[in-house]
Formats: sequence, C-alpha cells, structure tokens
Amino acid sequence: MDTARTEAAPAVPVQRRRGILQEATAVYAIWLREIKRAIRDKGQLIGGVSRPLLWVIILGIGLNPYFRGEVYGEVRFVVPYTYLQFIFPAVIVLNMMYTAVQSAISVIWDREFGFLREVLVSPMSRGAVLLGKVLGGTTVALFHGLIVLLLARFADVSLTLPRILSGLGMMFLVAFALTSLGVVIAGRMRTFEGFGVFSNLIILPLYFLSSSIFPLDPALTRAQTVVVYPEWLVLLVEWNPITYAVDALRGTFIGFNQFDPRLGPIILSVMAVIFFLVAWRDFRRA
Amino acid sequence: MSASPDLSIEVEDVRKRYGRTEALKGVSLEVRTGELFALLGPNGAGKTTLVHILCTIHRPDSGVARVAGIDVARNPVAARQNIGVVFQESTLDERLTVEENLEFHGLIYGVPTRLRKQRIRDLLEIVELSEWKGHVVRALSSGMKRRLEIARALVHDSQILFLDEPTVGLDAQSRERIWEHIATLQKERNLTILVTTHYLAEVEECDRICIVDHGEILAQGTPERLKTQHGYELLRVVPRTDGDREAILEKYAGRMVSENDELVMKSDGEVFVEQFLGSFGGRISAMNLEKPSLESVFLNLTGRELRDQTANARERTLAFGKRGGEHTR
Repeated sequence: MDTARTEAAPAVPVQRRRGILQEATAVYAIWLREIKRAIRDKGQLIGGVSRPLLWVIILGIGLNPYFRGEVYGEVRFVVPYTYLQFIFPAVIVLNMMYTAVQSAISVIWDREFGFLREVLVSPMSRGAVLLGKVLGGTTVALFHGLIVLLLARFADVSLTLPRILSGLGMMFLVAFALTSLGVVIAGRMRTFEGFGVFSNLIILPLYFLSSSIFPLDPALTRAQTVVVYPEWLVLLVEWNPITYAVDALRGTFIGFNQFDPRLGPIILSVMAVIFFLVAWRDFRRA
Repeated sequence: MSASPDLSIEVEDVRKRYGRTEALKGVSLEVRTGELFALLGPNGAGKTTLVHILCTIHRPDSGVARVAGIDVARNPVAARQNIGVVFQESTLDERLTVEENLEFHGLIYGVPTRLRKQRIRDLLEIVELSEWKGHVVRALSSGMKRRLEIARALVHDSQILFLDEPTVGLDAQSRERIWEHIATLQKERNLTILVTTHYLAEVEECDRICIVDHGEILAQGTPERLKTQHGYELLRVVPRTDGDREAILEKYAGRMVSENDELVMKSDGEVFVEQFLGSFGGRISAMNLEKPSLESVFLNLTGRELRDQTANARERTLAFGKRGGEHTR
C-alpha cells in the first residue's frame, strides 16, 4: 500500500506503537480494577477479618492447653511453642488462600459475564492481562495476610522489622503462587457451582493437609512418625506444596521449621513460576 | 491483494465451523467507509460469529476478513486498535463507576492521559451520562448501560464500530434513544458502523442491509432495493370460523406465508384482493393489506418469521450469577 492511499483513507489512523510503557499502563489498569473491586466487596472484607478471628482467637485459644502429645507413654510438648504461635503462620496462609480463590472466581465471572471480552479485544497482550490480574490478586491476598498479622500480639508472636520484611517476601511468593494456581483452575472450569465447591474441594483439604493445625513431630524419626500417624496422611502432607508455604512462614515468624528451612523459599519460588507459566500458557490459548 | 481505501470492512468467503455446526458457509461482504450497515437475521443465523471474527475474538477457518485494511487473522493487535465493539451481552464492570469503566478502557488502549480525560468528558456528554459518571454501573438501567458501552467503544477514537444486537432486551423508548445516539455519532464522526439486529423496524434507517440465515447471505442492498426486489404485498386476514379458515387455506395454499390466528398470504395487486373479497368477503372478521416491507422481504427469503432462542446451559449459569449467586460481582 503506498502512502498517498493511506492518507486518503480516514478509516486507517496512524498505527500507534505499543511499547513496554503501554503494556505497563495496561497492567496497572487491570491491577487497579482488582484493587477497586476488592475494596468494594464487603463480603470478602468481612471474611478476611472474621476468618483469622475465628481461627486464632477461638480455635487457637481453645486448643492451646491441649497442644502436647503423648508418645510411648511420655507426655511432653510436641513442639516448643504454644498452639496459638503454631497455627498463627498457617492462618496467614489460609486467609491468603481464600483471597486467591476469590480472584480465581472473578476470572470465571469475567469470562461468563463478558468483561473478559472487553480486555481480549483490546490491543494489550494476553501476558499483560494475566500479569495485571495475578498482581492484583496478589496485592489483595497480601492485604488479607496483613490483617492476620494484626493479631500477632494475641498469639504471642513478636514482630520485629526484619521478621516482617522477610515475612512479607514469603507472603508475596505464597500469594503470587496461589493466585496463579487459582487462575489455572478457573481456566479449566467449564461450569461454576458456587464457592462451596472451591472451599470444600480445594482450600480446606490443602489447608488441613499442610501440617497447619497439627505438627508432624520433628523429634520423631520418619519410622516413628508413620507409627503415630497413618502413612497416607504423612505422605499427603509431605507432597502438599502448601505444607512448605506454611513451614516457610513458621520459620520466619516463630523461628520453627519442621522441614529444611531452605526448602520453603525454594518450593515457593518454583510454585510461583510454574503456576504462572501454566496460567500464561492457558491464557494464550483461550 | 491490497485493501481499498473506501472500504472499512471487507469479508471474502469466510467460513467458520463449531464442531458439527457450520456457523458461516462462505460469507462475503463489503462495508464502505462512513456507512451504517446492518446484518439482519434470526438468532443463530451467524451474525454474532461474523462479528466475533471481525473483532478478532475468533479466527475464520478459511477466507479473509479485513477491517481498516488490516487482516484480522494475521494482525489482530493492529486491527483491534481501529475498532470499537459493543457485544450482545454487557461487558461493563458493574462494580466500577461509569467514569472508571471509561478510564479503564482508555488505559488499556494506551490513550494519553489528557486526551483520555477530554474524550471521556465529551463522550459522556453525547450519550447523556455526564451526571451519572460517579455512579456504580450496577445502578444504571439497561438502556443507560448500553449507551455507556457505545461511548466506551469510542474512547480510543475508533473509526469502525461493531454493535452486536445493541437494542436487545431494551424497552421501545430506550431502543429509539440508542438509535438516535448511533445516528448522531455516525454523522458527527464519520464512523463506519456495522450493526446486527433481529428487529426489522430498526434497519429501515440503515444505509445498507444484509440478510443472513443459516450462515449464508441471502440478500444485500439498500432497504428500498431489497423491498422492490424481494418484497411483496401481504394480505392479512382473520377468518370468522374454523370452517372459513379451512376454506381459505384450501383455496390459497400456494400463497400462504404464515398460518396463525391470522392468515398471511402474498398478494400481487388489487385484482387479487378484489377476487379474494369476492369469494371470502363475508367470511372474514378483519383484514389488512400491507405494502412491501422488510418483513415481507425477510419472510420471502427465509420462509419464516424471526424466531427466538431457548436458554442454554451458559445462560443458566449467567442467570445464577445475576440472581446474586455467590461472590459474583
């Protein structure tokens, strides 16, 4: 096509180039939308506040005196921490899991209600759409994790600045990985039967199997653990990636690790990268 | 082949199949720049599929589609910069305000800040939503939402606008208003507009009409040309008794177009009407003679009236969400 003809055609505006800056603006737009929606969703906010209260203040305080084990007739504390301290980091993960799932559900509704189309016919790249979505979900999840941190003093967890900073880093990884996982799952769901399915089929099993509310006694050898707990349970806990998220946060906030402390951050990073890449692949096909 | 500057939309032998259904069976059409072009057809005719291909949501199985001279299959991102789309179902974010929805659109299309603010202000003025800019979209009526969507499709200064059933589900008054806005925008901005609809009354004002059914184009042309070429006079009568009905049906079986409470038959001038009245004048309780209309064109070409669709699984999920299903919007 020669230039004279292009000028003669008013329907062909000058081709605007899309650089990194424009993609970044688009990511920001999607991120901002996620934040605004989260702030306006009272239900999500109420859940984010009530969940830690229930788990830390009620369950935590209620079970605190019973947090010891009897192994071969010898009564002693299984881990050298109170139950409140023990479940506190796990509740952070739980609260972030719920938020991540909620952003996954928003992906489903965006698809069903058509908002996704508005984004898909725009010139922004699919990668930018996904990144904005995941970063938005991550931010909201981080915020919900921070709500739990406010309860630290009730759980006898002392927060120092370095702890908070490294904790935030871990929480970011957890939130990013979980939100990406949520998007992956949402992309594979063809029908939507409500939040209960998610909660009962994904969040709670992952949570209960992450050694969140009971420890796998580190003082026991593998053989002994298998005697105390059925083998399938131990296996499930060890294979559950959330176990290492909880363990990493425990290491950070109360200085207690059931597994090699290096394992947590490594597994979290790998999770974040893999889930995001899978989500990206799915998104480009969509 | 290079694109012609006078054509905003070119479709050449486009085919698309979903599983076993052939949604488009080789469709070709051209829309000139500045034209208001209507795709008319019943639900499921393939109109939406064609719009989806043109706005790069789906790829054609074969054939070429160009908007603003850009091949939508080969260069979708460039094509998207030039088009504005209003889908059949609302794609607004109901939890954001009117202004935030437009802002979002401007941001993802990379419209510079100052220009964006200016355009949003102007467009809200045109679609008469300036006073509502701070309201959450959920609070708007369906007519207002539609107007907002049309405004949004123009925030990035698109020259080609696709409107897929822009008035479906709206009351008569809102429908009229939407069409007024479409006409204003087309005139003021020299927009090329492709609109799909299954309301016959709405396409009378369009520059050109294309009638589609079962994935094929049945006729194209200005409303007048279609009427003279494919239309005919319709005689509508209401028989007095069932006996009268049977008698009329028997005699004029070849002319019958529709057989409900009202019998509709083709007429070809006064001779036929006189002859009919001569033999059945006393056996009908009402009658009406219609000039060639687009409705008769449609009946003639498709052999049926425009039909409506039943709800599918997806629509039921949507209904669940709209009833306030869990954690929706």
